[in-house]
Amino acid sequence: MFNRIASRSLLAGAVLISLAACGGGGSSNAGGEAAPSGSASGGGGTAGGPIAVITVDPSNPYWKAEIDTATSEFKKLGYEPTTSAHKNDPDQQNQLVETAINDKVKGVLLDPAGADESVAAVQKLVDANIPVVMINAEISKTGLAKAQIVSNNAQGATLGAEEWAKAMNYKGSYVELLGKPSDNNAQVRSDGYKGVISQYPDLKQVGKEIANWDRQTGQDKMESLLSKNPDVQGVIAGNDEMALGAINALKDKGKLAKVKVLGFDGNQDAVNAVKKGEMVATVLQPIVEGTKKAAAQLDSVIRTGETGVPEEKQALDCTLITKENADKVNNFVLTEQ
Amino acid sequence: MSTTTTTPAPPGAPAAEERKGLGSRFNMNTLLVEGRALIALVIIIVIFAVMSDNYLTAGNLTTITKQVAFNAIVALGMLLVILNGGIDLSVGSIVGFTAAVAGNLFRGVHVPGTDLTMFPSLWVIIVLSLAIGMLVGWVNGLLIARLNLAPFIVTLGMLYVARGLTEVLLNGQNITNELTGQPGLNNTGFFEIFASKPLGLPLAAWVMIILAIIFSILLNRTPFGRWLYATGSNERAAQLSGVPVIRVKTLIYVLSGLCAAIVGILQMANISSATADLGTFYELNAIAAVVIGGAALSGGRGTVRGTIIGAFVIGFLANGLVIVGVSPFWQKVITGAVIILAVAVDQIQQIVQRRRSAARAVASAKAAAASRQSTDGTSPSS
Repeated sequence: MFNRIASRSLLAGAVLISLAACGGGGSSNAGGEAAPSGSASGGGGTAGGPIAVITVDPSNPYWKAEIDTATSEFKKLGYEPTTSAHKNDPDQQNQLVETAINDKVKGVLLDPAGADESVAAVQKLVDANIPVVMINAEISKTGLAKAQIVSNNAQGATLGAEEWAKAMNYKGSYVELLGKPSDNNAQVRSDGYKGVISQYPDLKQVGKEIANWDRQTGQDKMESLLSKNPDVQGVIAGNDEMALGAINALKDKGKLAKVKVLGFDGNQDAVNAVKKGEMVATVLQPIVEGTKKAAAQLDSVIRTGETGVPEEKQALDCTLITKENADKVNNFVLTEQ
Repeated sequence: MSTTTTTPAPPGAPAAEERKGLGSRFNMNTLLVEGRALIALVIIIVIFAVMSDNYLTAGNLTTITKQVAFNAIVALGMLLVILNGGIDLSVGSIVGFTAAVAGNLFRGVHVPGTDLTMFPSLWVIIVLSLAIGMLVGWVNGLLIARLNLAPFIVTLGMLYVARGLTEVLLNGQNITNELTGQPGLNNTGFFEIFASKPLGLPLAAWVMIILAIIFSILLNRTPFGRWLYATGSNERAAQLSGVPVIRVKTLIYVLSGLCAAIVGILQMANISSATADLGTFYELNAIAAVVIGGAALSGGRGTVRGTIIGAFVIGFLANGLVIVGVSPFWQKVITGAVIILAVAVDQIQQIVQRRRSAARAVASAKAAAASRQSTDGTSPSS
């Protein structure tokens, strides 16, 4: 009995010592750059220590860019970022958030799994006094996250749809490929497209399928849609991967020349397709720029308690990518010239 | 009393009776077991053909056949595993993994410790990638056959391992442009061959046909086939009668891995890139095809023909739902319901068959007893 207590207290002691060592390492790490400008707010601290970057799916080029940017930015600022992904599953997200809390991270950069579903997870972090900055997508409640930096999907969809409608000459039949129904961006983009297209009564939707943001599913659904509507003239897709799948299907049937395809995201394969004239346009989400901002603001919160930006919700406008500017895009970054 | 086709069987052993019918001989039981899937297929085709003029067109049939082929090839491998009473959940991940390996070989392999990058030629890439798929299957087989681990657990673990390795290899980037190859590197021609359409039919469909024939022969005309059915029905009995159970078990997972790897290559050519999600959920579609095709998940019963028909049921259904314009949300509900219905009909049919043969056995026994009584036991029994 005594033995057990002794060994347990020894274990606890060891854990405490290692924790103390971590804390010490963190503060010494950032000793030089800590600028206590806003320490009056009470949330002041020093830079350094672990940061949890929780995003959606690193196997997708878009989120890969987000993760890579976040990791390199946080390292530059003197933190130790860890990355994990919830694949748009709120339950998984909840577990990752709990792990981050147990890990005693200094802050969390979160790309949420759903606007409503993620509120509880963010609340948990707030209760644990861990600052959160949202990136890429928003949550439906304000006042919890320190900042929400989101790409303006509605604006982007409007831009894309305008360009596509012009290419269609404002008439003809088209089909739509939708993203995962559980991801609210799928609906936001579809609504954005609809807002524009409904102004042109000669544009007629003849089919609509869910293709789960996925290239192969997009291709399968497009093949079936083509059998149903052999003379379709346009395709609008909720993201680039589905659009690229549709392009494959159209190429296969030798119909690509007559069909105008619209994508969304601005991933490199899509940008190349725009260059080749296979895709009318895609919409670039400024994910690299947004992630840099998010990292800087989270750093500011940890050091000073303030983001340094007055608004919590900051929408970053998307950029239309057409043949004119496609060669200036490199891995989600548009270089201005 | 007839003594020809309807051999009365004891109620406990209908499986043995059916297995006899699994050969190329076309007897009544084969027709019933496979007829069910065939009937489902015909009903689906008729319904959709009535609802849409665009369904039964040559173009759409080609499209369906191509989409079905990917599932059917994976399902053929799955059939072997299921005949053995096992399950292979890792095939979808092997599809993705093979494509990722092939994509990386196209991109060139950096030789560690040097500045050299090796670019294998096209056929080396294909052979190596297929070998990788077989290797993953072999690991599955080894763990299951030698260590006697549960197939469900081993292949579930492998589902994660292979998918994870796929993501590691792709590192968040799809491989697209490199697949075209460069003339100087002797690795061109991938799309020209693997996305080709000999005689108007996509290569994937030809591969499906060829593999179906090979697997048919394998199951019906070779010792391996007999061993496989035997181990699936009663492994202990098979072992005691000299069947090399461990070798058979290992080999089927290797073949299942090979089938998945073939689909990995073909699907990569089809969507013209290697993506991290390639092949997700293929294992479930393959299992569905095998089961709709009349196979028993407990092993020992199932045919190549049924599996192919099962894959076509799923393909014709998925395509038809899109063409008719059923809401995407309802498509899933209907697909699931058809799978359950097909299997339920199978079970009911078996129960009825069992009862019938039992009744027949009782009747013939009674008749025999009666005739024996009337002729004082001199009548020869049939």
